Amino acid sequence: MIKIILFLFLYIPPLPPSNIKANDYPNDAGGKIEIKWELSPSDSIIDNYIIFRQEEIEGKWSLPETLEILPRGTNYFLDSNCKNKVKYRYFIRAIKGEIWSDSEFSNVAVAHAEWFHKKRTSVLILLIIILAFLLYFVRRAKKEELFIRKITGLDAIDEAVGRSTELGRPLLFILGLGTIAEIPTIAGLSILKRVSKKAGEYEVDIIVPCYDPVVFVAAQETVKEGFIEAGRPDLYKEGNVFFLSYDQFGYAAGCDGIMVRERPGAIFLQGYFYAESLILAETGNSIGAIQISGTTAVTQLPFFIAATDYTLIGEEMYAASAYLTRDPLSLATIKGEDYVKALLIIIVIAGLILETIAFLTKNSLFHFLKNFFEVI
Amino acid sequence: MKKGVPLFITFISGFILIVALFIPHEPFGSLQERFNDWYIIVSGFTLILGIDSLLAYHYRKIKRKEKEAPYSFALLLTFIITLLWGIYSGIKHGNPFAPTSTFLRYFYTYVFVPLQATMFSLLAFFIASAAYRAFRARGLNATLLLISAGIVMLGRVPKGEDFSPYFIAVTFILIAIVCILEALPRISIYERVLFFGLAIISLILIFPIGIFLKTKLPLLSDWIMNVPQLGAKRGLFIGISLGAIAMALRIILGIERTYLK
Amino acid sequence: MKEFFEKISKIDRRIIYLLVFISITIPLLIKKGFEFEALPEVKNAYEFIEKLPTGSRVLISIDYDAASMPELQPLLEVMLVHLFKKDLKVIMMGHWPLGLPLGQIALEKIAKEMKKEYGRDYVFLGYRPGIAAVMLNMGKEIRMVFDVDYKGTPIDSLPLMKNVHNYNDIALLIGFEAGAVGDYWVQFAQARYGQKIILTSTAVVAPDLYPYFQAKQIEGLIGGLRGAADYENLLKRRGFAYSGMTAQTIIHVIILIFIIIGNIGFIALRRIK
Repeated sequence: MIKIILFLFLYIPPLPPSNIKANDYPNDAGGKIEIKWELSPSDSIIDNYIIFRQEEIEGKWSLPETLEILPRGTNYFLDSNCKNKVKYRYFIRAIKGEIWSDSEFSNVAVAHAEWFHKKRTSVLILLIIILAFLLYFVRRAKKEELFIRKITGLDAIDEAVGRSTELGRPLLFILGLGTIAEIPTIAGLSILKRVSKKAGEYEVDIIVPCYDPVVFVAAQETVKEGFIEAGRPDLYKEGNVFFLSYDQFGYAAGCDGIMVRERPGAIFLQGYFYAESLILAETGNSIGAIQISGTTAVTQLPFFIAATDYTLIGEEMYAASAYLTRDPLSLATIKGEDYVKALLIIIVIAGLILETIAFLTKNSLFHFLKNFFEVI
Repeated sequence: MKKGVPLFITFISGFILIVALFIPHEPFGSLQERFNDWYIIVSGFTLILGIDSLLAYHYRKIKRKEKEAPYSFALLLTFIITLLWGIYSGIKHGNPFAPTSTFLRYFYTYVFVPLQATMFSLLAFFIASAAYRAFRARGLNATLLLISAGIVMLGRVPKGEDFSPYFIAVTFILIAIVCILEALPRISIYERVLFFGLAIISLILIFPIGIFLKTKLPLLSDWIMNVPQLGAKRGLFIGISLGAIAMALRIILGIERTYLK
Repeated sequence: MKEFFEKISKIDRRIIYLLVFISITIPLLIKKGFEFEALPEVKNAYEFIEKLPTGSRVLISIDYDAASMPELQPLLEVMLVHLFKKDLKVIMMGHWPLGLPLGQIALEKIAKEMKKEYGRDYVFLGYRPGIAAVMLNMGKEIRMVFDVDYKGTPIDSLPLMKNVHNYNDIALLIGFEAGAVGDYWVQFAQARYGQKIILTSTAVVAPDLYPYFQAKQIEGLIGGLRGAADYENLLKRRGFAYSGMTAQTIIHVIILIFIIIGNIGFIALRRIK
């Protein structure tokens, strides 16, 4: 009896997987077909699945090509090496030792590139809404002055520069560790322009050590422009804006050294920061300088709030250039952004209510809002 | 013309990349990666600009015999030694960081790593002084910050909950003392009763809150980190992202031009 | 009285630094620790690795440098021990060029200890610039980014890399994060290619990565020295991270004491005014 069972176990082939479905992989640039199947009823005893592919060449199917050996329990495979507009079909072999069995062929599938990423429809709709708000507020900005609430950190810039002038100490402006491609750095540069202009008006030096070489070039020009706008191009010192170090802690050590030696009256920390933020802020505090910080690095905000006098939190930094220049077009983008945020709050509350109802009623129809916003 | 061409390039690049986000079909689908590759190549060359600025700055200091000229000399000397040593190891071993290279074994392991680790470890001291200075009960918001900081600091370390009853005892005794000091100069009976009552309640609450925190502090700390902290952070992320979109639109449309010469 | 309260509300920072130094150094020298329960996110990570079939390939990304070494290097070593104990195959690469030698040092050390063979049990691919470009290209074909290993050996000649083409062939990716690269891994490898990821990070970066763990986009999160100590405990291989826990507890208590003293002075001065 045992020998019969052993014979059956060893020499009867396993049952093949079934219902092989091949489809073009959606929302891609082509070249991919995804294959799904139902597991073999003998899945628990088989060793592997092997997936085979045949390509249609001039009306005939090619010899089966081995694509991949998959472990048991697998019921999905993505074939990423297909040619577009070429017909393929697949079958799967269930193997146990030296014996195997093949499934039926899948349907014929053709990979093709999509012209629109359907999963990003929600992003497109939001983008259109943002642009619509923007256009509306640009039109309003031409007729009336748009209101933006007070941002204490930006109002304190004049006070900080004035204090440095009274003390006869220079200003120190630190742009953080971002590159020119990062938006916080560009926001930092727009604040630097304003501070440089004030420095020119008050006849005080400004020192700008830079982490990134490209930012250094941009900072040089920004500071020069600031002094020119203040009508004091003679006060601009080229050696005051320099590249310091491309290493995080080398940069922090260098900035700390500048703080302790030069003893600036005011320190501006505006940009994207990482772990060195507290080192810079605490050293600045220890020399008694007034510090105005601003960053979008959420992990560093607590350190800045604890150690500096004024902090621009996240988007307040982005609003700086609009706030300081009062340019109508820039203010319009801020207003548009705020209204979109209000819309998002409404969507979040609606989503919260719908998901709660879905949970209580166990009805998946209420997931429609969540599904709509699921983006790849 | 001087600003017109860069602004036009900015607009076209920004517009194409936004459109490419929605079109997987080539050539749009791989545009983002291609632009990234170009940026990496260009930014590699800009490092030369930065090094030139650094060396020129310190050379000027040495030439003018300024007060800190010896440090500038040390920097230039270190720069040259690192560069030459790295090149030598690279040529000899194929890679300055090869396991057998002296650059890795001596310079990196015994100079670079300890220097970096030392700078990072300064944070331990600075966070202590920053916390001491910043966590003061100035108002309601500051007090809430202080309480949640205390809960998270004790809840995230092993055996922190064992210390919590002592902190609770000290805190509530101090509250009781403040309430008594508030009560004493008061003339109104009702106000006196109120403040004395608050003092008594503070003293009574020491025991139950102490027991509660001793058993539940890690859970409370996790809740603070996973619920209000995370909620606020997500709100900040949404705000920052929208701000970044507004800023990016200003750059693409040429309203924001600070990055240009 | 007023002077006393003024003094305690403005304690010289040098006294604070001295006490911090003493309270960290003494526990580390005494090397005494205490028992504690592992955090759920660390347990998840540990159990995920425990359940991986023998021979599965694990990709490790070194995205930290010497500054974060005290927090992440002990964890890297203990995780390598775990992976090699389970006969998993390790492929190491990274996005921080100055941190990669640290990964290499740990890999060579543990591989030697566990008697593993290069090319068969572990491979070190090195660094390629690009972060996002690297991650996206690895999803298509690893050889588009790494056609040779760090020594210049073609990876096709390494037995471990023979059938490894993209994320489909990698059972798990473990990122050691000191910056923002973890977000990129989730955005590109997990969201686009469904790669299973465990992230380990410094304590400062860990709160940023919690949303991913909550949203089940990553299988586990091991944050800071506490996470490393938890992992050492689970693996029953107590090392530097475990002994660092006592120092961490004591320093947190000391800071809280200072905060209370400062508040006593602050409130007293406010009342006097």
